[in-house]
Amino acid sequence: MNCRSEVLEVSLEGRQVDEALLSLLHTILLHRSTGKFHYKKEGTYSIGTVGTQDTDCDFIDFTFVRVSSDELDRVIRKAVTEFKDALGNSGSDGMGQISLEFYQKKKSRWPFSDECIPWEVWTIKVNVVNLANEQERQICREKVGEKLGEKVINIVEVINRHEYLPKMPTQSEVDNVFDTSLKDVQPYLYKITYQITDSLGTSVSTTMRRLIKDTLAL
Amino acid sequence: MAHFDTEYQRLEASYSDSPPGEENLLVHVPEGSKSQWHHIENLDLFFQRVYNLHQKNGFTCMLLGEIFELVQLVFVVAFTVFLANCVDYDILFANKFVNHTDSSKVTLPDAFLPVDVCSARIRDNVFVIFIMVISGVFWLHRLIKFIYNVCCYWEIRSFYINALKMSMADLPYFTWQEVQARIIEIQKEHQICIHKKELTELDIYHRILRFKNYMVAMVNKSLLPIRFRLPFLGDSVFYTRGLKYNFELIFFWGPGSLFENEWSLKSEYKRGGNRLELADRLSSRILWIGIANLLLCPVILIWQILYAFFSYTEVIKREPGSLGARCWSLYGRCYLRHFNELDHELMSRLSKGYKASSKYMNCFMSPLLTVVAKNVAFFAGSILAVLIALTIYDEDVLAVEHVLSSITLLGVGITICRSFIPDKHMVFCPEQLLKVILAHIHYMPDHWQGNAHRYETRDEFAQLFQYKAVFILEELLSPVITPFILIFCLRRKSLEIIDFFRNFTVEVVGVGDTCSFAQMDVRQHGHPAWMSAGKTEASIYQQAEDGKTELSLMHFAITNPQWQPPRESTHFISQLKEKVHREATGGQPGNAPENHAFTSTHSLQSESEPRSLIANLLVGPPSLASLHLGREGSIINHLSIGVSEGASALRSLSPLSTSIHMRGSFPSSRLPRPDHPAVAAGRAMAGSGTDARTISSGSSAWEGQLTSMVLSEYASTEMSIHALYMHEMHKQQSRGELSRHTWHRQESDESSESVHDDVEAIRNLPRSNTFPFATTPNQEGAALQSSSQRRYGGTTDSLCGGPRFQRTARMPMGGWSEESQTGRHHEPVPEEGAEDELPPHIHKVT
Repeated sequence: MNCRSEVLEVSLEGRQVDEALLSLLHTILLHRSTGKFHYKKEGTYSIGTVGTQDTDCDFIDFTFVRVSSDELDRVIRKAVTEFKDALGNSGSDGMGQISLEFYQKKKSRWPFSDECIPWEVWTIKVNVVNLANEQERQICREKVGEKLGEKVINIVEVINRHEYLPKMPTQSEVDNVFDTSLKDVQPYLYKITYQITDSLGTSVSTTMRRLIKDTLAL
Repeated sequence: MAHFDTEYQRLEASYSDSPPGEENLLVHVPEGSKSQWHHIENLDLFFQRVYNLHQKNGFTCMLLGEIFELVQLVFVVAFTVFLANCVDYDILFANKFVNHTDSSKVTLPDAFLPVDVCSARIRDNVFVIFIMVISGVFWLHRLIKFIYNVCCYWEIRSFYINALKMSMADLPYFTWQEVQARIIEIQKEHQICIHKKELTELDIYHRILRFKNYMVAMVNKSLLPIRFRLPFLGDSVFYTRGLKYNFELIFFWGPGSLFENEWSLKSEYKRGGNRLELADRLSSRILWIGIANLLLCPVILIWQILYAFFSYTEVIKREPGSLGARCWSLYGRCYLRHFNELDHELMSRLSKGYKASSKYMNCFMSPLLTVVAKNVAFFAGSILAVLIALTIYDEDVLAVEHVLSSITLLGVGITICRSFIPDKHMVFCPEQLLKVILAHIHYMPDHWQGNAHRYETRDEFAQLFQYKAVFILEELLSPVITPFILIFCLRRKSLEIIDFFRNFTVEVVGVGDTCSFAQMDVRQHGHPAWMSAGKTEASIYQQAEDGKTELSLMHFAITNPQWQPPRESTHFISQLKEKVHREATGGQPGNAPENHAFTSTHSLQSESEPRSLIANLLVGPPSLASLHLGREGSIINHLSIGVSEGASALRSLSPLSTSIHMRGSFPSSRLPRPDHPAVAAGRAMAGSGTDARTISSGSSAWEGQLTSMVLSEYASTEMSIHALYMHEMHKQQSRGELSRHTWHRQESDESSESVHDDVEAIRNLPRSNTFPFATTPNQEGAALQSSSQRRYGGTTDSLCGGPRFQRTARMPMGGWSEESQTGRHHEPVPEEGAEDELPPHIHKVT
């Protein structure tokens, strides 16, 4: 696939899952968001401001910075909660992965629907461990905090690399690159998907799509 | 936070026209929509389409071709059904009388059945309806595919026009190498691939040929069950399109295949942990696909028959002889293909070998058949002669029933018989023919060499180069046989297949998972018997057979001179080229005068036609040179002569490529204009064309020119020679290994001392001689002399045979290549007549 992919792995306790994931996802989104664009007549635009805010974690010794947009926070929280529930319900050894995929849309001609082409995928693999006593929990709390700190630095390093980003769009195309549904902030188009235990094989629908595509192809 | 207009408000006092807060914000200019070609999702497919469109000579050609194909299909089906059901043959054959009121003439429409009768007949015939339904489905499938393709290729067309700046009308005049160079160029501004700033040629090849490379590697490692030992037919190969399709379905894209998508292998197959389980899973999948094949067998069979009918009837009608003609089998194409070789490259080199190959196959006539055929032809011929004579005397004879048909049949019979009678003037020289073939096909099992005259070799070659009729027959049989091969043969190999994909898949950044053989890394996959001894670290399992890694590397480097190979590969290539240079400076032994004349005539010829050059060289001198040697009674090393021939061929080719080089570098004015033409021409002869090319490719000023058609033609010649050279070396090496101890003895007891002295003596001679040449502007005499000297120096070399290569490496011969390199730097204005013809070529393509 013509897309970068980064993998982060964390292993933590069940109750830390949502905070840890929130911290990582928010960190990534912080760097992948801009202020709202205001287009002007002659094809120029100005960028609004983005506020940031610190968030403290309850179960981890960690504080992270996120975009101070409650709407965005709500969306992410929802995804993370869903993931956490699915993880809890799975009953298996508590492995799962959640991925944040940045994509851009490409308009296609009539018979085809718009294509969503990912350009960067962040995959966070979560491994839930069970701890026996309070002391271990305390240690874990610190350890996970440290780990998350490393991950955040890791993320920033990756983002600092001078690599491909979608070009800044004109007014008509802004929806193809940015998610403009939020009032106060404008992240790149993103999608959060999750998977409990790395279930093998591709899903039936993708296989069918490929089958059809391949028979059609020369 | 809604568009945070900051607390630092403008002073209301400053009245301005613009709304507050805007002009102190940074103003940006969007850069989107300038190119729609950045970040293409599926680069594999994209490059494949770009390649296909190029191969099909542009959008219009492709569109027209496909439309006609669709129309043709409808026509053939409709016409067949019409002929079968709607024609009253009794009227046509005049068995039935038609009463006409006005005239007695029978017209064609009389023979047609009325529409209602006709449709009733069709409706009653279940078989016809079945066939029509299947072909209808087939046609619909083609139609949908066509529409889909038109949409996709329209995009590619605009890519060509807008991004690559090539109009469709000009497309046929661009070589693929040029298209590729432009793609690499535009990657820098458009970022088609987001992983890398720059694409390389190898990346593009990898993407286009990802799965083909796997298939080539699997055939190379004999992993696929396509060779069978049958009770009566002996060793035979069965590899059809149906089988290939199934293999690809299982491995690459079918439901539950090993690949997750076009570019990555599923992660569980990359881990060795549960290989047994995976193998089980694979084998059960193969079983299911085999069973599905078995169930669908009748449908596929009819489809296949229709397909064959549609595609071949027209060909057979056009040229009936084409069934007796041969073609390269599917297996042959897989076996002969280099890693990273595109279809057109493979086809062009196989087509070049076609003539020689069919000649070779025709060498083998069964004497028994010949006798029978001669006599049958005699009897049939006499009857035919009588009939024709009678017809000439009175043409009413033709009206007698069956006379016309018997004349036709006899004619056909005689033609068939004649094909079994060998040409009177044909000479049986299989060994040389096989060498010419090798120059084009580049691969050949070791045991063929020296056994070219044997029927076993011929039969094995027939596996690569089969009758077209056999090919069609195999295709027709394929639906029946394929399921059994899948169920009984492929299933057993599932563990090996799993291991193969795990061991030989590497992830390349920006490309995805590719076959590691396709990296053409001599260190990982080299075969010690193919000149990569000492460089390779591959175990037997990892070695590519038949020197495929080495030859592919050479091939790729030669076809893509701009490509920068990794360090080991560069080392390998330069070493090989150096060896060839040395051989070139060595040249032919003993018979200096004749050979000198010979090569010089050839170098003249080479200016006009490079291909005939190799042909001549291959067919001509071997006998000559070996004869000489034999007479001299020295150590007969026919092989080494072969080597030096290849090398000298390269050398005689080189003036030409250097002249291209010089012409090319002329405008770039990188090189000073020297004033001693002939000497440098002589020098250029010593340095091979290859080097001139690689060196010249350094100057980017005329990169476009380099990748022109002219050069690609010479590249194929160059590759042929390198292939021959490598095969010779390989043969030598393997023989050397067999008789190592004898070599040592020979060397130690008699000749080695004297030979050494000779070598030294001669070495010194030309060295001291050529330096003056470098300065004297004197013309041909000097150059010729020097080249003959070099050849003389080489004499002793080839006399000492195999180990010579190890030895010469330490010898002052190295000085020669150095010299030739310095010589190249003051390349002169060339004098050969050939360049007068060259400029227009170059101008055309720029």
